[in-house]
Amino acid sequence: MKFVTILKAVTKNWIRSRAGLFFSILFPILLLLVFGAIFGGQGGTSASRIFVQNLDRNPDGTQTSLSTGFIQALNSTKILAIVDVPTDADAKSYARDQLGPLGGNLRILQVAKRFQDDLVNGTLKVQVGISYNTLNMTYQMFAPYLNDTQKAAYQQGLQALQQLNDTLPRGRTSLTLMLDASDQSAQIIKNIVLNVAGAFNYQLIGAQNVIDYKEEPVTSTSHTGVDYYIPGITAAFIMTNGLIGLTSNTTEFKRRGIIKRLSITPLTKTDWIVGNVLSQTVLNIILALIMIAFGWIVFNVRIIPDAYTLTLIFLGSVMFSGMGMILSGLVKDVEAASAIGNAIAFPMMFLSGTYFPLEFMPSYLQTVATRCP
Amino acid sequence: MKDVVVEVDSLVKVYGALKAVDGVSFEVFEGEVFAFLGPNGAGKTTTVEILECLRPLSAGSAKVFGYDVARGGDVKEIKRRIGVLPQEFSALDKLSVKENIDLIGSMYRKKLDTLEVIRMLDLQDKTNERFENLSGGLKQRVGVAAALVSDPELVFLDEPTTGLDPKARREVWEVIENMQKLGKTVFLTTHYMEEAQVLADRIAIINKGKIATIGSPQELIAMHGGLKTLIIRNGGKKLADALEERYGSTTLGHGEDVFVKVDNVKEMWQVLSELTSMNVERDVEVKTPTIDDVFLKITGGRITEEGELK
Repeated sequence: MKFVTILKAVTKNWIRSRAGLFFSILFPILLLLVFGAIFGGQGGTSASRIFVQNLDRNPDGTQTSLSTGFIQALNSTKILAIVDVPTDADAKSYARDQLGPLGGNLRILQVAKRFQDDLVNGTLKVQVGISYNTLNMTYQMFAPYLNDTQKAAYQQGLQALQQLNDTLPRGRTSLTLMLDASDQSAQIIKNIVLNVAGAFNYQLIGAQNVIDYKEEPVTSTSHTGVDYYIPGITAAFIMTNGLIGLTSNTTEFKRRGIIKRLSITPLTKTDWIVGNVLSQTVLNIILALIMIAFGWIVFNVRIIPDAYTLTLIFLGSVMFSGMGMILSGLVKDVEAASAIGNAIAFPMMFLSGTYFPLEFMPSYLQTVATRCP
Repeated sequence: MKDVVVEVDSLVKVYGALKAVDGVSFEVFEGEVFAFLGPNGAGKTTTVEILECLRPLSAGSAKVFGYDVARGGDVKEIKRRIGVLPQEFSALDKLSVKENIDLIGSMYRKKLDTLEVIRMLDLQDKTNERFENLSGGLKQRVGVAAALVSDPELVFLDEPTTGLDPKARREVWEVIENMQKLGKTVFLTTHYMEEAQVLADRIAIINKGKIATIGSPQELIAMHGGLKTLIIRNGGKKLADALEERYGSTTLGHGEDVFVKVDNVKEMWQVLSELTSMNVERDVEVKTPTIDDVFLKITGGRITEEGELK
């Protein structure tokens, strides 16, 4: 039962160490708070700022009704915070001045001069084209049943529509979106602008949705990001506590001769190893309970671990702490122990699916990931 | 005749091409303080760690309490009966003095009361102090306490005062003297000549893996230390020449000091009478040979404060 003495002593030593306590318990809590604040869906998110220059003006200098409507539609998404750029200003210089010396992402949308005209002409062209196609299709279908007078009237009508269509201009480049390639939100903003423009187009030509779309949750209860981050971060730290924390700590004991001193006593190697592994297991269970408590108190997320979860925590702790003990037996200095522990733990952490979905990875990495503990 | 506690015969330890211990033989008797004196790299710690069952031997034999250190079955019995202060003792930083001593003590079936050991080492004021907050001397005392908590019959102290200031060193010496009073057998390794001479009943001088000589400090000094020396401070060349002519073995040192080697007390008194008759009014000192002189004579070198041979 000497392992119980070792368990008590190393746990006490670890808990009293500020660095040990920080990296094994407080750091995961901080990480949970940060991830929870970002992805927990609480507190709302700020809109992305975009500079919009509307060059489409009436002769009296006021904005045309369609360009104004389009900008309002963009604004109604609540995702974009629109900053108006004066018509006579150079849009890029103006935006840079507004962003100030600290900079920020340069996002500019320019509504071209003939936006309303292009939109009206384009809509007319589409409508006339549809009318022409409909008339032509009925003519082709019913021609055998028509007399010559009827046929001549049809062709006259088709010719008149063709002539009208030819008078309508093709100009369609009414919007110019300028984005920074390094802007992480660029793709989202581009999609929002395209979607609003598309909806605008459909509205004008009177198209109706033929495909209906609705969302349904596949889980019985709804989950927020925190529900996934609590077990993810806990699992990641059970691994790093065993592979990095315990390895470094035990190697430090070895460097300072503490293990040698204990090995002169009747203490067996098994007692030493079991004591250390169990100490880590106790700490990891404490960590899991604290993470659950924080999830409950801060994010109102109630996770109640069942026997299966507790068994997994226990087995995970035993396995990673065991790996840590093996590693500390192989290396001599703390720096090497920490480096090797990191080299093993971090690839496994990123291959665990906790931070990135496995589906995003190449197939060979997915194979490696499924074989990692 | 006292019982033999440690019995080493033709012990050899080889690391690759290096022979760290080269055919060492000696015995340690019950109740004595036995000092293993030598410079760094002489083979002291290697020998001790073989006796503590920490390292396997390459050849020869070593027995502690009659148990063979090379036999797996005997190791447990040896570990149960010895106490060890390893070189550069360290403990769990965040645990208190009492908790650290308790930790070591809990490894043994038979153990002394921790508070009693703390009292024995005069550590009462530091009982609940964390190990990391102690001075070097106090840490060594905790190490000695940890070595004594199992009430061992034989205590190995490996370089117990290395790195300590003179005051802390004297404190540890006091502890070692008390151990002997308690009837413990003490196996002390050191590179400090004075430490060995003050504390040890017998000294083995070890150099380059071999024992150069072994005996009590008095025996070693008598055998290898040479003559007593009378030092006449600022005596000058004239006095040196006069004494050389009369007694021989006289030299003039730096600062005009005159050194006269004398064979015995009678000759010493003769020199002193001569000085009186010559009206020489100078400070006179008598220098008795020490273990330092023995070591110099045997190895041809001296050990520095850091333990290096020069």
